[in-house]
Amino acid sequence: MRFRTNVGNIDTFYKILQTVEKLQKRCSIKLTETEMHIICNSDVNEGGIQMWSQIRVPSMFIDYRIQSNANNVILLTVSSEALVAAMRSAATPSSSGPGTLTKKGEKPTINFDISISTRGGRRVRIAHDVPIDITRTQEIEKLKEPLCPEPEVHILLPPLARLRTVVERMKPLAGKIIKLSGNMSGCLTLSAETEQSRVDVSWTGLSNPDMNEDGPSQALRRANGEELPARGPKQMYGVLVSLGSLQKFLNCHVVSTTTIACICQNHCLVLYVYVGEVANRGGVLTFYIPAIIDEGP
Amino acid sequence: MSGADSDDESIKILSASIHDIRYFTVLLRGLSFSDRASLLVNSSGISVTVEHSRTLLATAIIFRPLFNEFEYNPEPESNPPSPSPSGAEEEAEEERSTGFDIPLNIFIDCLNIFGTAGGSTIPAPSRKLRWKPPNTDENSDTEGNNQGPSNGGSNAQAKKDSANGRIDQYFASEKGTGMRLAYAGQGYPLTLLIAEKANGPTAKCQITTFEPGEQLILDFDESPTIMKIILKSSWLRDALSELESLSCDKLTIIGNPPPPPGRAARLSAPPRLRLQATGPLGSTEIDYPNDSEVLETCECAGQVRFSYRFKLVTCAQRALQSSTKTSLRINEDGMLHLQLMLPAPRARSSDMSAFVEFRCLPLDED
Repeated sequence: MRFRTNVGNIDTFYKILQTVEKLQKRCSIKLTETEMHIICNSDVNEGGIQMWSQIRVPSMFIDYRIQSNANNVILLTVSSEALVAAMRSAATPSSSGPGTLTKKGEKPTINFDISISTRGGRRVRIAHDVPIDITRTQEIEKLKEPLCPEPEVHILLPPLARLRTVVERMKPLAGKIIKLSGNMSGCLTLSAETEQSRVDVSWTGLSNPDMNEDGPSQALRRANGEELPARGPKQMYGVLVSLGSLQKFLNCHVVSTTTIACICQNHCLVLYVYVGEVANRGGVLTFYIPAIIDEGP
Repeated sequence: MSGADSDDESIKILSASIHDIRYFTVLLRGLSFSDRASLLVNSSGISVTVEHSRTLLATAIIFRPLFNEFEYNPEPESNPPSPSPSGAEEEAEEERSTGFDIPLNIFIDCLNIFGTAGGSTIPAPSRKLRWKPPNTDENSDTEGNNQGPSNGGSNAQAKKDSANGRIDQYFASEKGTGMRLAYAGQGYPLTLLIAEKANGPTAKCQITTFEPGEQLILDFDESPTIMKIILKSSWLRDALSELESLSCDKLTIIGNPPPPPGRAARLSAPPRLRLQATGPLGSTEIDYPNDSEVLETCECAGQVRFSYRFKLVTCAQRALQSSTKTSLRINEDGMLHLQLMLPAPRARSSDMSAFVEFRCLPLDED
């Protein structure tokens, strides 16, 4: 079992790891020949949020080599905090050398070999050894993304930093639950309600992307063959989610460029966060936030 | 949600709009030490009153010219029980008014839903708990425009440049967040529509209203004024925040008559105004010199000495922060009356400046 790569896009990789760290203390990383998947799927996450990401190897790494008995797939779990700490050394502005990710077969660690230049121009080598757990080959098959029904609405979100501000401001006006609803005519509404107030913040004129071409998730791929139920474009579909998990998702505003939200009414909210510029899609972070079913009074 | 405004057809008791909510929010923030505010609407504007411990009453009067649009239709049927604060029954007779209570902090939170209501006041401490990685875009930091010594330091400054494009967008959008206020009558919520810009998001807030509670009446003009001082707000604000850090519980305001003519007498004379704070750890005094630079006017015939609960006087701190001038008066019964002038934004004429008033009862002393 061997793995070695240079991290080409240190900044983006660091930001992705920061998002991961806020989500979960330990994460799973699945390495294949063409993609790196960072997976946060712990059951204990606030509001049951999960994140599945795909990072295309060429967009993030240089000299990427992988070898394993399981079809050149490696699945490992690692402390996300330690990964962030290691990448923090590499992400200093004066860092010049690429971070190197190596995995030695004998003792399960990931070694980061970072060379930065100090202000005086001297070069400094920093090495981080992050211990990891290797998951057995049979377990790899068991790891499956959550299955979602065909979403009622898919809509392009406004810039996440703006959305985050609004959600932050809504926090004192909401209980623990926030409602996100949208329609196929570019309208998105966030609603919060307490005994003292009711607030709806609406965006209009957003676009509803056509997701049928190459949806990044199985939920959308399934849609290809299926008969789409007739839906009015103005009809609003909503999902109640926990405010905490929405905020956790919004922590990824540092990496986001384009974000698509898919609303599966009363089931879940799926969010596709595209990393990197439009021309060079580096990867997708997919967040699943399960719906809170309102029992009603 | 475009059809949500269809109920606008019915006649509203109050319908008002403001193109830029920042000044309005500053006025309300000055009262935000208490959560329940009583609003009194009449044809000349809205007065917002909050009280504290049945001892302090703070009022902000927002006059009609401050609104870009203001329409008041008093309830046609029998006059609702008038909750006018100063017990001016004859005034209520000739001028109809409508009163209701709202949760003030919710109202302010709603106004600031886009983070564009201006950050001239200290952010609530709970907001500081927010996670802030070194690379966070500054544009999400809504309090970023007060240029305070942020914990990000130089690092944050350096990162600011990289996100410059989006920061500009943020500042541009900060110009003129407008709102529309409507109240349909008793039992209806106060409806607030906030729009950031023409094509931006809109927020519709419905704030629960309550029937006006029994209001505290503090009439300052009941007894004659015995001390009258006008000073720059910053002088009072700085003194109070200095004393605040010493955890005092009693504030004594001492005013002295002007010293007799003669140089020697003037040097040995007691200060015109002295603030004395007493707490479990001792007492602190702050003297204001008899200088027109500091005390613009100071009128008092004999020595005046009254004590107040320190906590109540510091309720005025928030309003003091955004005010320029303060008139401090004390009447014969010892009631303290602070009138703070909050300057209107530059674009508007200065005669539209609004005031926030505080009236506070003294402590009983032997």
